[in-house]
Amino acid sequence: MTETIAGEIDAPRTPADHLRSLVKHAVLIAVSLLMIYPLLWMIVSSLRPTEVIFRAPGLWLNQLYVDNYAEGWFALSQAFDWYLVNSAIVVSGAIIGNLISCSLAAYAFARLKFRGRGLWFAIMLMTIMIPIHVIVVPQYILFNAFDMVNTFLPLVLPKFVATDAFFVFLMVQFIRGIPRELDEAATIDGAGHLRIFGQVLIPLMIPALATTAIFTFIWTWSDFFTPLIYLTSPDMYTVPVALRSFLDATSGSNWGAMFAMSIVSLIPMFLAFLFGQKFLVKGIATTGGK
Amino acid sequence: MSALSELSHLKHRGPVTPEQRAARRKEASHDNKAGYLFLLPWLVGLFVFTLGPILASLYLSLTDYSLIQAPNFLGLDNYERMLTDDRLHQSLKVTLIYVGVGVPLQLALALGVAVLLNKGMRGLAFYRSVFYLPSMLGSSVAIALLWRQIFGTTGLVNQVLQLLGLDATTGYVSDPDYALWTLILLNVWTFGSPMVIFLAGLRQIPTMYYEAAALDGASRISQFARITMPLLSPIIFFNLVLQIINAFQAFTQAFVVSNGTGGPSDSTLFYTLYLYEQGFTRFDMGYASAMAWLLLAIIATFTAVNFLLAKFWVFYDD
Amino acid sequence: MRPNRRQFMAMASLGAVGATVAGCSRGGGSSDSDDGSSLQFTWWGNEVRNGNTQDALDAYMEENPDVSIEAQPGEWASYWDRLATQTAGSNAPDVIQMDMAFISEYGQRGALLDLSEYGADTSQFTEGTADAGVIDGALYGINAGVNTPTVLVNPQIFDDLGIDIPDDTTWTWDDWRDLAAEISSSSDVIGTSGIVQVDAMFSAWLRQQDKELFVEGNQVGFEVDDVRAWFEMGQDWLDAGATPGPSQMTEDVSKPLDQQDYVVGNTAMAMVWSNQLQAVETSGGNERRILRFPSLSGDATDRRAWYKASMLWSASATTEDPEGAVALINWWMNSQTAAEIELAERGVPPNAEISAAIRDQLSDPQQRVSQFIEDIVPELAATPIAPPPGGGQVGTLLQRYGFDMLFGDTSSADAAQGFYDELTAGL
Repeated sequence: MTETIAGEIDAPRTPADHLRSLVKHAVLIAVSLLMIYPLLWMIVSSLRPTEVIFRAPGLWLNQLYVDNYAEGWFALSQAFDWYLVNSAIVVSGAIIGNLISCSLAAYAFARLKFRGRGLWFAIMLMTIMIPIHVIVVPQYILFNAFDMVNTFLPLVLPKFVATDAFFVFLMVQFIRGIPRELDEAATIDGAGHLRIFGQVLIPLMIPALATTAIFTFIWTWSDFFTPLIYLTSPDMYTVPVALRSFLDATSGSNWGAMFAMSIVSLIPMFLAFLFGQKFLVKGIATTGGK
Repeated sequence: MSALSELSHLKHRGPVTPEQRAARRKEASHDNKAGYLFLLPWLVGLFVFTLGPILASLYLSLTDYSLIQAPNFLGLDNYERMLTDDRLHQSLKVTLIYVGVGVPLQLALALGVAVLLNKGMRGLAFYRSVFYLPSMLGSSVAIALLWRQIFGTTGLVNQVLQLLGLDATTGYVSDPDYALWTLILLNVWTFGSPMVIFLAGLRQIPTMYYEAAALDGASRISQFARITMPLLSPIIFFNLVLQIINAFQAFTQAFVVSNGTGGPSDSTLFYTLYLYEQGFTRFDMGYASAMAWLLLAIIATFTAVNFLLAKFWVFYDD
Repeated sequence: MRPNRRQFMAMASLGAVGATVAGCSRGGGSSDSDDGSSLQFTWWGNEVRNGNTQDALDAYMEENPDVSIEAQPGEWASYWDRLATQTAGSNAPDVIQMDMAFISEYGQRGALLDLSEYGADTSQFTEGTADAGVIDGALYGINAGVNTPTVLVNPQIFDDLGIDIPDDTTWTWDDWRDLAAEISSSSDVIGTSGIVQVDAMFSAWLRQQDKELFVEGNQVGFEVDDVRAWFEMGQDWLDAGATPGPSQMTEDVSKPLDQQDYVVGNTAMAMVWSNQLQAVETSGGNERRILRFPSLSGDATDRRAWYKASMLWSASATTEDPEGAVALINWWMNSQTAAEIELAERGVPPNAEISAAIRDQLSDPQQRVSQFIEDIVPELAATPIAPPPGGGQVGTLLQRYGFDMLFGDTSSADAAQGFYDELTAGL
């Protein structure tokens, strides 16, 4: 993968530089091992029979027990791809919703001066400060009144109206870091706000939009509580809820299948990150920025 | 003009020509309509989905709501009860330690790694993905199992210590002296999210500043202090504010690791864990709602202080 | 401005597409049939129970073509969050799998139906099994499977050490401690998993002194001194080396059953509910022996054993079809068809006739449990009443205050007082 070199320009290579680079990579690889250990452990566990997982120490596999994958895939009332598709539907809705609604709101907060801006901004921040557990019940009553329980709407609709204040605030900070001269130049050219937003700022905000898309993907994909509450029929389950079906703390759990399907469900997340991070490197750094 | 002086010009807000000032004023008069138009989706969301439940929780905090029966109005009883609730005070203490230690550690690590990874080097995409990995696993059930596997009585840490000839038999996740610290470590370990945000922010800093600075002969440290820090400050500020808010609301990891009890001996009784216990295990949603509003007040205070202090170190280009 | 508007429209339509896609329901959904009745049915369990339950529901729908049932499976830990939220939203499922720890919370607050008013049939139930779900005279839940506290031992460990398995008709609590201490001192296995935090053992021990955990009127049936004595017993067992230390015990109680110390062979004995035997043997990989829990007197007929409902079937007070809900529960508990699908997965059926009829089809561990349940009839005493609202906390509180003391952070007197105050304040 090619990377645009931001940061300072690499000095000419000398033996000392090589040594320094070697040390840096050694440190990074050591830290990487710490980071990757849980994944390795999960992969190894997914290849062990359930009875062995918690008794065999270490990461050494004597044999590959791949049955967990086949078994886990078909153990629930639908084959596992069904739940992957459910999650994909919810996630794509959430990403589209967040990208549109949060960027619009962020533009207003960051660039426009209107009456009540400070107050609305404070209210927006306040909405992320209240713990979810006390608003989940009123929210459930609300969605139940709209007859939306057991559909994906309670998981997706709020994203289209910028209820994820986290991303609004994130984009506000990014926009405020973009030199104002750029939109002022456009204003003088006679561009309206929509054009400044769509043609000047959006291209410059690609790292922020990529961050939003990646986080929305990963957080929605791994969210358990909201789908648990709203999606009651097994056919509507998203991946995390389906994964819990393998477990029962009061009797026996199918840990092998749970680990196997967890690995399966990590793949889309990982691909999303790999794909999304390419866009993290675009923006002013590559478009020149004058 | 050298890039650095251009930057300092930005920072100290050079003189604005009368034409520019007029343009800005003209813009301001137009903004009311446009502002509310752009804000419309958010306002709809606020009034339809968010504000109602929040105000409902405020009302419920004045009642004895059990989730199952209709609420009865109590007045300020729930708030009065918080004054003498020892476990509430314990949960505040635990949470404050978690915020005070966990957030700075996590942010420093995230910033450091982001700056390191921002430079052109081989294997960049690989390292970035690997460092983000723990954040993807962060809230899964597997984490609780894993943490026990590592920090349990017969866990990985003790096995390594025993190999070194030490008599290590402490169960770190289950000892009141250590349990909270393993959770702080878990939080630091998931530094991927702020790291990604820092990376995105670093990419917005125009390369020409660094190129010009390098030509001026500025050292790396000076480049970091004079270019990276000020231009990244809005993003640092964002991460600081949001990580503090998140840390105050830390729930999932503590819940899965202690199986929802906040044990041992309430040493990992996070505020929201106790709130959840009151609301959903003890069916005292009235008290839980009151706790939520106390938390809101605390977080709002921290956030307000952050915004006040931001004037001294956060640099915006507008 | 035209291109801008086009852009905006493009974005808006993109949004509309997203919302539409998200709104479509896949399969299932809520299909209200106009004729006949439609029931929502919820339970917790693993994928084995989920399969059985779905099969039984299908069989019922086949027998009753005018009934449609929407299944809502769940998993223990999160099941209660969802049920509480649904109940708060007046949208609770019609038929609810209930637990003894929560039945009063829901029943006394009016969320559950009095099943006896709609023709619940427990006429064939074994003595002592039908009244588990009776609270203040109302039948809020029907026993779905008989359960009783036992002490399981791991015979392999006893064999390896050449120690005899004790005679459970004569053993006392002190015998349990001494035996456990002997095992700990002669091997690297610990004698017994801790019991100080086990509410069933505390209850048994209280009952043998003519006390109870709870008595009518939402009151506790014991004094602070009883708790203190119980905690001191826990300390004594720890000091004798009979149990693991508080840190290991904390770790143990936070683990799912299949990873607990006793199951994997780190301890030789533990208190385990009878209906968990099969899961224990599957996860542990060897056969275990069921023992009666001990008595104070050394005579098992004094041990005041009891049957507990492993779980119960309840119906929501807001159900639109109470007769339909009760009819389904009746079928579940009293029909051969249901029993043959379910066998003893939810516990030995309380209906004596059904239980006898399926005995031969049970797995080996289930047969041993079924036999044990029958054997202990002479030792049964009155069934303890369901814990009142707030009473489900006993185990959690025993754990917190008991372990605090074992960690050396408080005295037994302070721990007992704290336990007593917090429990009674929560009732």
